[in-house]
Amino acid sequence: MKASVRHQGKVTIVDLSGKITIGDGDIKLREAVNALLDEGRKAVILNLKGVSYMDSAGIGELVACYKRAAEKGAKLKLLNPGGKVQDLLILTRLQEIFEIFRDETDALNSF
Amino acid sequence: MTGHRTADAVRRIWARPGSRVGNRVRIRLNSRIVYVDLVHEMTEDLARRARFAKSAALDLALAVREAYINAVKHGNQMDESKSVEVEFERNESRFRVWIRDQGQGFDWNHTADPREAINLDRTSGRGIFFMKNFVDEVSFHRIKGKGTEVLLEKNLQPAARGPHSAEAKR
Repeated sequence: MKASVRHQGKVTIVDLSGKITIGDGDIKLREAVNALLDEGRKAVILNLKGVSYMDSAGIGELVACYKRAAEKGAKLKLLNPGGKVQDLLILTRLQEIFEIFRDETDALNSF
Repeated sequence: MTGHRTADAVRRIWARPGSRVGNRVRIRLNSRIVYVDLVHEMTEDLARRARFAKSAALDLALAVREAYINAVKHGNQMDESKSVEVEFERNESRFRVWIRDQGQGFDWNHTADPREAINLDRTSGRGIFFMKNFVDEVSFHRIKGKGTEVLLEKNLQPAARGPHSAEAKR
């Protein structure tokens, strides 16, 4: 999995691509989000457009990132989950705890 | 051969252009998480050869992935001296995968529903739930003195079944 970071004002967007799975994607996701939280970033969007699928470890890490952000007074939101990723978020009912956006501008304006 | 050499050899054989695979394939791997992607790739490839649609092949591979991870983590307790056996079989109507570990196993029947409100923000506990959702049947068997066996079964879609299947004869 690859994670690239860009900033739009006070909001940070992390463009993710590949798969978020055990032993690789989950670790890179954790490192990317932890680094932003340690920098004091309070508004983070994970852009899932390029993510093909996640396993239970990847889903677990997504939830862990959400909780760590909340603990640090930050907000973490999701953008553009597609295909299998969208299916998994619905299946696990995680769309009930995450704010999920289809449009980047809407996501940016939501903070 | 063991370890990475096994994984690389399996990948080479698998990737050989025009390689033919029978209806039954069995591999034994050292009990290491790092091999989960190999198991996933093999499952997806065999499922596609069995003419599963791409999304159904991914579902099967995701279920096998979770079973393999469980075998390494909870079955073999991350003991790399142990092994995990994965066996694939395709018949006229179903695709079956057995994942066998050498551990004591655990109570598969008493796992919390990750969709309940109280469990939604848990960071683990979705593996068995994924297995049950991505295939048609999941069964667990404890084999005395040997370990635990998980059997995942997924029905072939009618269009993918062979010419002698019941659907094809109708």
